[in-house]
Amino acid sequence: MDDLIRKENIQIGVDAPSWQDAVRGAGNLLLQAGSITTQYIDEMIQAVVELGPYMVLMPGFALAHAAPSAAVLRDDISLITLKTPVAFGNAENDPVKVVLCICCKDRESHRTTLQRVALSVMEDGMIDNMATAKSVDALMALLQNA
Amino acid sequence: MEKIKIQTVCGFGCGSSLFLRMKIEGILKANGVDATVFCGDVGTCLTNECDAIFISEELSERIKDRASVPVFAVKNFMNTAEVTEKVLSFIQDKQQ
Repeated sequence: MDDLIRKENIQIGVDAPSWQDAVRGAGNLLLQAGSITTQYIDEMIQAVVELGPYMVLMPGFALAHAAPSAAVLRDDISLITLKTPVAFGNAENDPVKVVLCICCKDRESHRTTLQRVALSVMEDGMIDNMATAKSVDALMALLQNA
Repeated sequence: MEKIKIQTVCGFGCGSSLFLRMKIEGILKANGVDATVFCGDVGTCLTNECDAIFISEELSERIKDRASVPVFAVKNFMNTAEVTEKVLSFIQDKQQ
């Protein structure tokens, strides 16, 4: 089976003092991969400012993304765990320990992969297991075996 | 009866709404309910024809007073009990 998320796009123990840093941390992996321009990172931060922290979908987990735009060069996904959990301002599900970052060229592209990732991270206990993974390989194994 | 249509909604119609769609589809399947689930964005969701809208609690405030169909706010997407209860209560009301 193909990797759900490429190894280079995963980082553990990212130091992010604020939620903006957490979004940037996950976004930077997509930037390094050549999948987005820096504009997309600004758009993701702006999305949280405008729409509120609804992207904290479940306890400990934020899905960072913005609308498909010219700042997206190709469909991609990145995943980070945070060194220290950070609050996004979501009373129900803060603090965030795991950030998944997605960028799509359009709404339909990429959907099959995203669906698999979605099912994977919504498994019981998955967020805590990912947050405590000691290596990128361990994290990848969790995703792959879910 | 026509097939029930559920719309899951997020900011852009391609991120968290997809997560919620996956969750609801799983619950419908587990309970033997045949319904369509599709994604929408918060800006245009009210113009899409559907029987119910499922949306994150945070975003629900933006549409709940203007919607002509029931709006169900979900607090925790992975909480199967929470989502199941909301989905099944809607389906039961609909089938009465």
